Amino acid sequence: MRAITLTRRALAIACLAIFSMLQFASVAAAQNPQIAQVETISGNVFIQRAGAHVTVKIGDPLYEKDVIDTGADGAIGVTFIDNTVMSAGPNSEVALEQYQFDSNNFSGSMLTDMRKGTISMVSGDIAKSSPAAMKVKTPAAILGVRGTHFVVEVPD
Amino acid sequence: MVFTLGCAQRQAFFAVLPNADGSSGAITVSDNNQNSLLLDKPYAASEEKSGKIAPAVTNASDVQQVFGNALAAQPILPAHFRLYFERDTDTLTPESAQQYRAVFDDIKRRPVYQVEVIGYTDTLGTQAYNQRLSLKRAEAIRDRLIRDGLNARSISVAGRGELDPAVPTAPQTSEPRNRRVEITVR
Repeated sequence: MRAITLTRRALAIACLAIFSMLQFASVAAAQNPQIAQVETISGNVFIQRAGAHVTVKIGDPLYEKDVIDTGADGAIGVTFIDNTVMSAGPNSEVALEQYQFDSNNFSGSMLTDMRKGTISMVSGDIAKSSPAAMKVKTPAAILGVRGTHFVVEVPD
Repeated sequence: MVFTLGCAQRQAFFAVLPNADGSSGAITVSDNNQNSLLLDKPYAASEEKSGKIAPAVTNASDVQQVFGNALAAQPILPAHFRLYFERDTDTLTPESAQQYRAVFDDIKRRPVYQVEVIGYTDTLGTQAYNQRLSLKRAEAIRDRLIRDGLNARSISVAGRGELDPAVPTAPQTSEPRNRRVEITVR
């Protein structure tokens, strides 16, 4: 009888722990809104997120600070909430360093850190909102985006 | 032993590509030495060597060679639509009722989608009434998309009333072009 009580208590504590973890997770999600969605994917692609390597599939959300990491056979295409479209080819490492967008006035700012590989981007509402709003950083240069379609390569 | 003197390695490469209609946007490239280049034509390009940027030459086949995989992974680009309504209703005009099909087909061809529907009105009636009417218009389109089989969770609606007209008018003015929803599909 006593053993059962203990087990019940343990169960209750475990449930409480899980519940508070879930709560924490939902709070974290609320503070860190989705900024993009995975639309295409092929080969090996990982997302570096909060120190972990996460696999993603079509339809999954991406968040500020995520780092896209494609393998030798990997490629990924994502669409941001301001309608910016980005795709990365093989052996690429691209950090979504900073992203903020207000859908009420269609303005925001975006900094992409292009560490290596190849990307193609088609700008959306953020680039329209002001000339300095959308930037892409490479190891020794910075790109200001006034509009639409461009590509960047950073050899390994 | 390989000598690479005078043949510094390329650290980065940038190019502007043409849009579907042949036009192009523009990017500026700046290095750490205050050098800056404006690329504002299709296939205008720049490269960086030893920390300095300089103009570069490229063309469609070079771009395909280097960026072919990245370009092949590009999602279907976002699309925008406008549908118009009969005066003081959430009923589409006959032309827009026809065009609804194009909106639906555009959404259906995407593997995943997010749809934003924002409703608007002209300036006839009170602001409060028009706020409600604009939301009703957006909701009518959302409900139709859901009835036609789209996922409710992928559709968001908002109403902006008479405050954000496509065509600015005086107060209490009937303007068919302002009685609309704007739909973004991505």
